[in-house]
Amino acid sequence: MFMLALGETGGAVMSQLRPQLDRYARARVAASPQTHGLAGSAEYDDEIAARVVFTVEAGLSFFHTHAEGIGLVTLAAGTLVASLVPWRRPRSALYALIVAGALFPLGYLVYGAAALEAGLDAGVELAERYVLTPLGSAMIAALVGLLVLALVGRRSTGGRTGLSA
Amino acid sequence: MSTTPALGWRLPPLAVLLIAVALIACAEVGGASMVQFKWELTRWARSVMLSRPAVHGLVGVRDVDESIIDEALVKFDAGLRLFHMHAEGMGLVIIAATTVAVTLVASAPLARAIVVLVTAGGAGYPVGYLLWSALIPFYGIEAGKATAEWLVWIPFGGATIVAMWWLTGILAWRVIRRA
Repeated sequence: MFMLALGETGGAVMSQLRPQLDRYARARVAASPQTHGLAGSAEYDDEIAARVVFTVEAGLSFFHTHAEGIGLVTLAAGTLVASLVPWRRPRSALYALIVAGALFPLGYLVYGAAALEAGLDAGVELAERYVLTPLGSAMIAALVGLLVLALVGRRSTGGRTGLSA
Repeated sequence: MSTTPALGWRLPPLAVLLIAVALIACAEVGGASMVQFKWELTRWARSVMLSRPAVHGLVGVRDVDESIIDEALVKFDAGLRLFHMHAEGMGLVIIAATTVAVTLVASAPLARAIVVLVTAGGAGYPVGYLLWSALIPFYGIEAGKATAEWLVWIPFGGATIVAMWWLTGILAWRVIRRA
């Protein structure tokens, strides 16, 4: 619910404060000419600033859509874990992975902010390597783990799971 | 909506589920229509724009007018796409959030208020994109956007955001109390 609420608020902020965000992003690019490789030529620098602004807006847009989606995935996956995995410890491990995966959309906020502060390529790489990949992998691992444990659990309980009871 | 710990998910009222499923169905029909009637819709929007040159700033010079019309048509199409995406998404959000509310919010009036806000807000918000698209040929991109914003996006989107944070706050309070 927290991610869904964040996602909706992010969408509203993105739509209402677009001009302010655009101005802020351009100001940050202008404030770090070396980081962004500005050359002092207005035409070239404008193009670089536009690419950074586009990346920041894309980060916010991805945050909005992924937060809405991951909230629903978390709810569904959490319910399936509670219903289909009969063992306490594996269940707790899956919950931990799902919670980590639920934070995945925050990676897109990092993506936008890092592109602004560390430069386009370095920022995007930083967000992908340290935030998006680990958190996304956590959700994938949780879903694969859920599938495996649900199948094993179904065999060991003879099909008597929370869903079929 | 009892105060006893929930053993499983409780179903939201049938009317809420009907609205959510109808919204998803509308989104799917909208997506299909957008593809199927793309040229008819584009021709209609174009003809309305050409009949209102002053609204769109058309000057009668083909090169200038075509780029203005193209931009308006891109936004017209974007409005339809955004309706499709948001209606699909909000249908699911309504089902999920109202299920959580009726299961985990102990106070019945509070749960009811959240259910009403999420359902009305979630079902109304995507319609704003349809309204925006419909208004673009008649009133232009910005005037259409401002109308959709004040009539639909702000009230309905605001209701959904308030309800979602309200529900999140209640759940957080439950977690803190349990800890």
